[in-house]
Amino acid sequence: MTWMRPPADAHPTDTVDLRFVLNGRPVTRSVPAARRLVDLLREDLGLTGTKLGCGIGVCGLCSVLVDGAVMTACLLPVTAIADATVLTIEGLAGPDGELTAVQRAFTEHGGFQCGICTPGQVMAATALLAEDPHPDEGSIRDFLVGNLCRCTGYAGIVASVEAAAADERRS
Amino acid sequence: MSAPTAAEALGPEVLERLARPEARVEARGKVTGAAVYADDRVVEGLLHARFLGSPIPHGRIRSIDTARARAMPGVRAVLTGADTEGRRFGRRLLDRPILAWDRVLFVGDRLAAVAADTPEIAEAAAAEIEVDLEELPPVLDVRAALAADAPVLHPDAASYVYLGGERKPPSHPNIQGRLAAIHGAGEDPEALAAVFSSAAHVFEHVFRTPREHAGYLEPQATIVWVDEAGVAHVWTTNKTPYNLRDQMAAAFGEPKERFEIEGGAIGGDFGGKGYTVNEYACLLLARATGRPVKAVASPAEEFGAMNVRHASEMRLRTAVDADGRLLAHAADLLFDGGAYAGAKPLPHLSLAGGVNTLAAYRVPHVRIEARTVYTNTVPAGHVRSPGEVQALFAGESQLDIIARALGVDPLEFRVRNAVRPGEAGAAGDHFREVRAVEVLEAVRSELWDRPRVAGRGRGVALGVRHVGPGGLTLRLRLSSDGRIQVPTGIPDQGAGAATVIRRVLAATASVDEARISVVRTSTADSPQDQGVGGSRVTHLAGRAAQLLGEALSEWLDERLPAAVPTVGPGAHLHDDRLVDGATGETLATFDELAARLVEPGTPVELTVRYEAPAHGHGEPADYGFAATAVEVEVDRETGAVRLTDALLVADVGTVINPVAHRGQLEGGFAMGVGSALIEELTIDGGAVTSLSLADARLPASTDVPPLRIVQLPTTIGPGAFGSKMAG
Repeated sequence: MTWMRPPADAHPTDTVDLRFVLNGRPVTRSVPAARRLVDLLREDLGLTGTKLGCGIGVCGLCSVLVDGAVMTACLLPVTAIADATVLTIEGLAGPDGELTAVQRAFTEHGGFQCGICTPGQVMAATALLAEDPHPDEGSIRDFLVGNLCRCTGYAGIVASVEAAAADERRS
Repeated sequence: MSAPTAAEALGPEVLERLARPEARVEARGKVTGAAVYADDRVVEGLLHARFLGSPIPHGRIRSIDTARARAMPGVRAVLTGADTEGRRFGRRLLDRPILAWDRVLFVGDRLAAVAADTPEIAEAAAAEIEVDLEELPPVLDVRAALAADAPVLHPDAASYVYLGGERKPPSHPNIQGRLAAIHGAGEDPEALAAVFSSAAHVFEHVFRTPREHAGYLEPQATIVWVDEAGVAHVWTTNKTPYNLRDQMAAAFGEPKERFEIEGGAIGGDFGGKGYTVNEYACLLLARATGRPVKAVASPAEEFGAMNVRHASEMRLRTAVDADGRLLAHAADLLFDGGAYAGAKPLPHLSLAGGVNTLAAYRVPHVRIEARTVYTNTVPAGHVRSPGEVQALFAGESQLDIIARALGVDPLEFRVRNAVRPGEAGAAGDHFREVRAVEVLEAVRSELWDRPRVAGRGRGVALGVRHVGPGGLTLRLRLSSDGRIQVPTGIPDQGAGAATVIRRVLAATASVDEARISVVRTSTADSPQDQGVGGSRVTHLAGRAAQLLGEALSEWLDERLPAAVPTVGPGAHLHDDRLVDGATGETLATFDELAARLVEPGTPVELTVRYEAPAHGHGEPADYGFAATAVEVEVDRETGAVRLTDALLVADVGTVINPVAHRGQLEGGFAMGVGSALIEELTIDGGAVTSLSLADARLPASTDVPPLRIVQLPTTIGPGAFGSKMAG
C-alpha cells in the first residue's frame, strides 16, 4: 500500500486527485483528502455492500481488501488507497452473478443470520484463503478476530470458511 | 413401543424436506452486499438529522438558544421541545418526550434536533446550540429511587397515554411496573415467614448484574418522508412495524392510516430493536422541511442512550428442608428501568422473565416480585430474554451456593429439585411436557461424568422458556405462471422468519420452494402483525404457513376436474406435480395447473389466520427446557477465565430450519459468554462511560469455544410439524 502525500500545507478538506482500481475497474476521482474510504464507497460511489458499524475499526463490518490485505474502510483516509487495488463485496461474484466458493459456503453452512457483518466476514475469509488455502480452525478464528458477529456465535462462520477451503471448485 | 415423535408422524416426504439444510430466502443478497439495510437506502433530497443530548442526568431546562445553529449554511431545521407540543412516545406507556421541554432525565435525553444537508453540518450545528440547565439532584440507583422522600421523576405519570387499558397507580411513584409470582404460603406474608422460620436451612443473598447493550452491529437507522397525501413513510430498523405504527399514531394523535412503516433487512436485534427512537423526531423534521430526513445513531448514542439490558439488584431468600429440597423462595428483584419505561412492551411494564429465578424447579411456597424502577440513567429495554437472564443468574448462582453449603453435588442438587411431570415451576408455569430431569441427565452423561481435570472447574445451569403465544395472518398470491408470492409485514432480523414460511408452505403443499417468494411489505400492504420477538415467530408463522399450504391444496382439489378432466380420486400434489392417487403417475406439473386455473394478471389470493390456543392461568402451556454446562480454566495470576468445554442440552421440537436452529443456539450461547465474561456498560454519575464498541466489547471469534449441542427432540411442539422456538 502506498500512501499519497498531500502537500504539507494541505487542509483536510482540500481535494486530492485519486486514482485506484476498484473491483477490477480503474477509478479517477477528486475527493477531500481526509474523507474515509468507507464514505467514498458508500456515499460517493453507492457501493453500500460495505457496511458501517462502530466507526473505530473494532467491528470489521467495513472490511475491504486493499492490495489483497484486509482493511477496515472506516479507518482509512482515501489517500491510503492511491494507486492501490481495492476489492469490495460487490467485486466478488462473477460477471454472470456466479458466487465465489466463500460466498457459496456462507449461504450453505450458517455463515450468516442478520447479514450485517457478512460482507466483512466474506472479505476477510477471502483474504485468509488467498494466504492460507487450508487453514485449521484455530487459524480461522485467529484471522477473523477483527470481524465481530453477534448472531452466529462464530461456529457457522468457521464452518463456512472450512467448507470454502474444501471446495474444489474454488478458483 | 413408544409413541412416534411428531417428526416420525410426518411422513417421509416432509421429514426428508426438513432434514435438508435450508436455503435462506435472503442468502444471495446477504453474501453479495445487495441486501438493503435502513442506512443503505438512497432517497432523493435527503436531509440528515443529528441530536443534542443532555450532558447531565437530571435538570430543569432554563433556556435553549438555537439562533447560531439555525444561521449556519446547510441547516434546514432546528427543533426543540417547544416544537413538539408536549408529545411523548413509548410502546405501552408514552412517557418519553420526543424532545425534552421542561426537564431532562438522563445523560443523552434529547434537547434538540437538527436537519441539515450533510451529517457533518448537522453535527456541527447541534454543537452550536446553547442550553442553560439547572441541575437537580439525580436518582442514580433503584434503592435511592424507592426511598420515601426520593425525587419523583414523573410527577405527571397519571396523565400519560397508556396503551394497555387502565394503568393502576404503582405503590411508589418511581415504580414503572411490577410482576409477581406467588403461590403456597407466599400468598400470606405471615405464613411464609413461618415456613422460613421452621426450615432446616435458610439462605439469603443479593445478586447484581450490570447494564449491557443488545450488541446488534447495525446502528438504529430511520428515514422518514411525507407523501403528497400527508402520509408519513417510515423506513426503519424497527422489528415490530405494526406496533410502531400504532405507537406513532397514539403519540401524534392521528389516525393509523397516516403512518406506513417499511424497511429492509434488519442488522441484528436481540430484543433491542423493538423500541427505536428516531422515528418521531425525524417525522417532525420532515414536516418542518418538506424533505426526507434520515437519522443514524452514533456509537455514543447507541451505547449511551438506547434501550440497554436492565441492571438489576436481586435479593433472594431460599429455604431448604433437611433432605435438601427447596421449600420456600422469597425474591425481590429490582430492575433499573432508567429515565423512561417506554421501551417496555408488556402491559405490566415489568420484565416477563424477571420472576424466573427458579422457573424450572419445584418450590412449594413462593413469593417473587420483579419491579422496574425509574432512575436518572439510560432508559432500559428488552435484550434477549428480558429479565430472565438476570433472574436465572441469581437463582442458579444461589443454588450453587446452597449445594456447596449442604455438601451436595450441584448437578445432583438440581436433579433433586427440578420440576417433575405434573408439577408447576416456581414462577407459576404449568408445563405441557416436563423435561428438566432428562436435560440434566444428558448433562451428566455428556460432561459431568467425564474425568475431572486438575485446575478446571465446572458449572451447570437449568432454564426453561415459553413458546410465544398469539395469532398470525398470512396470505399468498398464486400467479398464472406458477409463482407463489407471500407478502408479509413480518420483518426478518436474521432469525429466518421468511425461510420458515417458505419451507413450511412448500412442505405442506408439496411444491418446489423455488416458486415461493416471501416478500416484506409496508404495514399498509399486509395484515396486522405483532412483529418479531418473544419466541413467537417460528410457532405462529410456521402454523400459519401450514394452514396456507393446506388452503392451497384445498383450492386446487376443488378445481382439479376443471384443470385435469381425467383426474381420478386420490390425485394430489407431490413434489411439485399432480400425481394419480393409485399409480403415482404425473398428471400435470404445478406450472400447468397454475396456467389452467389462474387468469393471467389476476392472481388468486388466499388468506389464513392461525390462533394459538389460549392457556388460562394454571393451564399447561408449551415450553422448552435447556441446560448449559461449561468447564473452565482460570489463570491463577491474571484471573482470566478460559472456557475449555461448553455443552448445551436443548429440549427441541421438530426443527424447521436446521442450520438456523443450530445458529440460534450457538449465537445465544455466545451472547451468554459475553454477559458472563466480557460485556458491561459501565456507568459513572449516571452517564454511560463505555460509549464505543471498544469499551462495551462483544465476544470475538477467539472468545467463544466450539459448543457441543445435544438436542432432545420432543414428541410435541405447538408449531408447524411439532416445532418449538430456539435460542
